[in-house]
Amino acid sequence: MLSYILRRVIIAFFMLIGIGVVSFIVIKLPPGDFASRYQAYLLGRGSSQEDAMRAAQIVREQYGLDQPLPVQFYEWVKGMVTEGKFGYSLAYRTDVGELIADRLPKTLIIAILSHIISTVVGVSLGIFVATRKYGFWDNFFAILSSVLTSIPRFSLAIIILFIMVFQWHQPSMVSFFSPQYVVAPWSLDRVIDMLRHIWPVLFIAGLGGVARNMRVMRGNLLDVLGAQYVQTARSKGLTENRVVVRHAVPNALHTLVAYQGTVLPYMMQGELEVAIILGLPTLGPLLYESLVNQDIYISGSLLLIYGALILLGNLLADIYLSILDPRIRYS
Amino acid sequence: MITDQQEITTLDEIAAPVEDHESYFQLVWRRFRRNKVSIVGALMVLTLVFLAIFADFFSPTPISQIDLDNSFIPPQQVHFIDHEGNFHIRPFVYNYTYTLDPTTFRVSWVEDTSKAYEIQFFVQGSEYKLFGLIPSNLHLFGVEEGGTIYLLGTDKLGRDLWGKACEAGRISLSMSLFGAIISVVLGSVLGVASGYYGGWIDNALQRFTEFVAAFPNLPLWMALAALVPKTADSFTVFVLMACIFALLSWTTLAREVRSKVLSLRETDFILAAKEMGASDARIIFRHLYPNTLSHIIVILTLTVPGVILAESFLSFLGIGITEPLISWGLMMRNTQDIQTLGQNAWILAPIFFMVSAVLGFNFLGDGLRDAADPYAAQ
Repeated sequence: MLSYILRRVIIAFFMLIGIGVVSFIVIKLPPGDFASRYQAYLLGRGSSQEDAMRAAQIVREQYGLDQPLPVQFYEWVKGMVTEGKFGYSLAYRTDVGELIADRLPKTLIIAILSHIISTVVGVSLGIFVATRKYGFWDNFFAILSSVLTSIPRFSLAIIILFIMVFQWHQPSMVSFFSPQYVVAPWSLDRVIDMLRHIWPVLFIAGLGGVARNMRVMRGNLLDVLGAQYVQTARSKGLTENRVVVRHAVPNALHTLVAYQGTVLPYMMQGELEVAIILGLPTLGPLLYESLVNQDIYISGSLLLIYGALILLGNLLADIYLSILDPRIRYS
Repeated sequence: MITDQQEITTLDEIAAPVEDHESYFQLVWRRFRRNKVSIVGALMVLTLVFLAIFADFFSPTPISQIDLDNSFIPPQQVHFIDHEGNFHIRPFVYNYTYTLDPTTFRVSWVEDTSKAYEIQFFVQGSEYKLFGLIPSNLHLFGVEEGGTIYLLGTDKLGRDLWGKACEAGRISLSMSLFGAIISVVLGSVLGVASGYYGGWIDNALQRFTEFVAAFPNLPLWMALAALVPKTADSFTVFVLMACIFALLSWTTLAREVRSKVLSLRETDFILAAKEMGASDARIIFRHLYPNTLSHIIVILTLTVPGVILAESFLSFLGIGITEPLISWGLMMRNTQDIQTLGQNAWILAPIFFMVSAVLGFNFLGDGLRDAADPYAAQ
């Protein structure tokens, strides 16, 4: 098993390098390099031609932009790993690493919260509908989930925003906290206040996860409920509740774990979409802004971060599953 | 001679009568037909396609007509009973007139009940060219001269949202279909190669597929779409966007086709073809492709909604389709301004079209998936 985990880690490492290369290509793809953009930026701010040229030359040397591409890639990775330097953002006039350090935890809070909610709600609903196969509630939730997941997430966010602003008149939308709680220490009230601000994101990002978890759990549970040992349990005279909860559900959960790794990217993308609409200070709006402003180091670094997080999610799911389910073969 | 004659008749008699058997597609159709939900899905998709192709016919006003006097008119209600309480057989609309609140300067539109405009069907109206070729001036419905009919209201530039949404379906649907087709071609080629050749080719392709599948779709789509030059002409933007969507959505198909090919590779008829000396190309194109085709079509249908959703989001953000092209997502762009949205909530109308398209394709795909394997027991 150890060797299996080790192999997964090594594969993940190489994939991370691959994702890094793609992110780097995205940084390098726009015409002109960072220094020439910096030069244009300085000219736009009223610097003289020579000053801008000189400053651009300094940047070019500092970032090694005159070096061949593989060297630049190496330097970029080295900067990130050893010093936490991701590159310079023109719009924020600071290193991208600081921006990410500020916003990444918030993104993770949202992603993990919606992940947990969607797992708990989705699995419970899956059990609920699987024990009522083809009944009213089964059909009801099947239709509801397909309709809700067919609404583009951004427009669902707009609708919720519309309701919150024009029907409920909720002030201070675009932040994590109401003004009085921004610097307050953590307390129950503060958590409630935060949830009041971020529930649309949790709701919309979690929605797709709920639908998928419900579908998978329903299918698994129906498979398991048809197995012989379940019949044995029933013939022993156990109550139906106990059969389901004690014998069927634990075995139906395995496959769900395996694909939790793919739920995380889904959450992050939902978060990305909704946070852009609501303007929450997470990674999503930062990525969008950087793409519009052509602030390439942010875009590239964020791509890398997103890729790394998803890779990490997959890796953890793999490892967890290998511990949980002894039937997995390690070949 | 006589015996010969007899023999022939007996031979005729003993030959088994040709049994009526249903072809594969008849079986598929039979199973598909039984599934009500997928029929609904197919009808939704067909309706949207029709609305898109014949947008000029379905729209009472010329679809690209800009009319700044009529900006942000709310949806006009269809009446049967006029303001005096008389019932009319023929539905009619009232024009909206513009009023300005003298204290707040807020614009509001009120119905002008002095004249009712009856809705007429198959009317002669503005000229347009069907398929860009056949000149016509027939419209499904319309009102007489002087009246307006905006069933879903108008946008900022006074364009009819109903006609515009029908037209936007052209780009939204054709681009997602085009993107899905590219991704399906890519996925099936890689899937067949991976499954058929096996060995190190399979290994390498599988690692590559895993890598692409592990990539965060939406952020990369956004990054690549933002790189499409703003100055590019419409056609280039269209093709580039479709390619960008295809680039990341072929992985499921590649996996499914691979596993299908893997199981087919060991079947007798493939082995027989190999024994008879058929080339790899012949085996792949004559035997393997036709047998995976139904699965490919299923995945094609299920890929479309994903592309519709992604395209609408990118266009909404302004990094996807740009004017003069129009898509449902792009139509939603005005809703970014919360104040505009608050006063003109009807500009959310394109959501309805997007949901119908996504739901329709999903229902259709699910139904096809069940029907694609008609020999399996239900």
